[in-house]
Amino acid sequence: MGNFIFQALNGLSSAMFLWLVAAGLTVAFGICGILNVAHGSLYMMGAYFAFTSFQILGLNFWLSIVFALIGAGIIGFLMERFFLRRIYAQPIEFQLILTFAFILVFDNLTKMIWGTMLIIPTMPSLFQGTIPIVGRPFPIYNLFIIFAGLALGLIVWGILYKTWWGKKLRAAASEREMANAIGINIPTLFTAAFVFAALLAAIGGALSTPVRVCDSGVGGAVIIPAFVVTVIGGLGSLKGAFVGALIIGVISALCTLYIPFIELFILYLIMAVVLIIRPQGLFGGEV
Amino acid sequence: MKKVTGILGIALFLIFIVTPAVNAAELPKVIKIGGQGITSGSKADYGHQMIMGAQLAVEEINNSGGILGSKVQMKFMDSELKAAVATKNARYLVKDWGAHFLFGIDSSGISMALAAIMPQLDRILIICHGATHKVNEEAIYKKGLRNTFRISVPTYQDGILPAMIFKDRPEIKRIASLAAAYSYGYDSWEMFEKTLKKYRPDVEVVGKAEAPFLHMDFTPQLNALMAAKPNLILATPWGGEGLMMLRQAILLGLFEQPWFKVWFQCMGGSIDMAEGLTPDVKSGKFHGKLWATARYLWNWPDTPRNKAFVAKFREKFGRFPNYSAINVHTAIYAFKKAVEQTKSLDTQKLIKALEGMKVQAPDGERWIRPEDHQACYTVPGGNYVYDKSVCPNAFLGNLVVVPWEKYFRNPPDYKLP
Repeated sequence: MGNFIFQALNGLSSAMFLWLVAAGLTVAFGICGILNVAHGSLYMMGAYFAFTSFQILGLNFWLSIVFALIGAGIIGFLMERFFLRRIYAQPIEFQLILTFAFILVFDNLTKMIWGTMLIIPTMPSLFQGTIPIVGRPFPIYNLFIIFAGLALGLIVWGILYKTWWGKKLRAAASEREMANAIGINIPTLFTAAFVFAALLAAIGGALSTPVRVCDSGVGGAVIIPAFVVTVIGGLGSLKGAFVGALIIGVISALCTLYIPFIELFILYLIMAVVLIIRPQGLFGGEV
Repeated sequence: MKKVTGILGIALFLIFIVTPAVNAAELPKVIKIGGQGITSGSKADYGHQMIMGAQLAVEEINNSGGILGSKVQMKFMDSELKAAVATKNARYLVKDWGAHFLFGIDSSGISMALAAIMPQLDRILIICHGATHKVNEEAIYKKGLRNTFRISVPTYQDGILPAMIFKDRPEIKRIASLAAAYSYGYDSWEMFEKTLKKYRPDVEVVGKAEAPFLHMDFTPQLNALMAAKPNLILATPWGGEGLMMLRQAILLGLFEQPWFKVWFQCMGGSIDMAEGLTPDVKSGKFHGKLWATARYLWNWPDTPRNKAFVAKFREKFGRFPNYSAINVHTAIYAFKKAVEQTKSLDTQKLIKALEGMKVQAPDGERWIRPEDHQACYTVPGGNYVYDKSVCPNAFLGNLVVVPWEKYFRNPPDYKLP
């Protein structure tokens, strides 16, 4: 039982990274209608910005996260304002091509700026060490990630469901023309929503730096499981992204413990079953 | 009669001295060599080290007159660690760019894919990193795909060598695998397990975990293995993934567990890992339990030739040479020697010249076994140490040298040693 609990906790911390990436992906799609395959690149940029401010500029861990958010927010703004806005009315293939081009641009940009060498930031002293859980050492940082993920989930939910701005966003997502007719500035709102999605990716990237390396291919590596999560949960549904991340994170960890050689098979099987039974995902259609 | 004999003698002499010139004249003014390796993503340093090794070899060769007077020109491409990309690159390098010789390759899967198409391309490929034994034992030896050679050690290094090192450690009884979920990881573990059990039937496999390519979070795998309390873990994820995995193992307190004795990181002696691991080795986080090997170690053997190569490399590039650099360097020199011997770029002649060739690498002589085109040479294993007076990075010390004859499998039966 101890192993089960311990592994489930590990799965939970992995799930929180997935949740942050999938949440941004689903906000961009659910509100702006943009299927942003370059969302992983925003995660990557967040990681690089956090590394730069923490390791190179010597800022503290919290400031490095703020720095990452500012950097990724600016990138998100530029992407939406000058590129994505022009293709909202176009078929989805245009979005895929354009956002795929962004992956290439960001990958090469990181190589030009940070080089191709692996970047391995150090663990902030605050989070070094472990605490015993069911008699085994559990990393403090992983515990922090679980709480941070849950807290960010609440904040995102609060913003979208309890603020006036969130209501406007959801109104625009469900009926764009009607929202426009009642005086909501749709272009500005969509820019803000896309920036918001970029911030979610960036915070995931920034929080990953003490336990993962920064490299120019990391964006591609995170986007695949994030898509699996959103397919299971329902593209466009925040609740779905959260539940999907929990399913993938925890089941993946438990499969690794009990049936390690079919772990990937199980994950994709879950996705396939969801697609067959409920093609829109578990919570598809909800924003 | 004397006059006739004299004329014949002069004619024979002229033929003798002119023949090499005629053959050498068959060579183009520029000999093109095409390389590929991974130059992007978390394993990019392997490709970049290949480029450095190739640049050094090409520069040395051209500065000393080229290959029989022909200058060498090199083009290097990113394989992206994808067989489809590598196959496309190989076709481009040969058919469009006009490469006379191919080298590089980091992955087992790509090695197998290219070995299959090299006869069609009618060129020689010398693999410098991709490690699966299936290349030499199956593709080359059994299937006869003889355009492919390998200058670097195969998975015997990753699986059999550690078993030979740890078979004499009686406290290691419970072993576990954290495998890269592809050919390299599976092959290495299988060889390790079989060899160790052959010498130590009391050893028990208590855990097996695996991680796909580009995996980032190893904590579930590490936890699953830790639950089984192994004395030794053999791990094959490499490059950036290997670094993340070790960092996560430190976080989980694995190295502090009294029951845990050895982590063997198969290719952990590579320079990118050494550089990345330095802060943790320096601060003693591995408690002397991190062991590794590689396909060349810059600090072995302690010979003037190897020292001179390392010094030259550091002077030119500001870094220590990784195995991918030296293996590419050696591969290009092996090709040069073959061309000089045959005075030709004819693929079949070059294959014959390379079979059985003894080529001098900075770390000593490598014999290219004629049956399976596998270069045979020794690389030790060791555990990670830090000594600023020796190297600014962590490096493998307390080296255990097992001669290659003791841990390489051999044709025709390829049995475990």
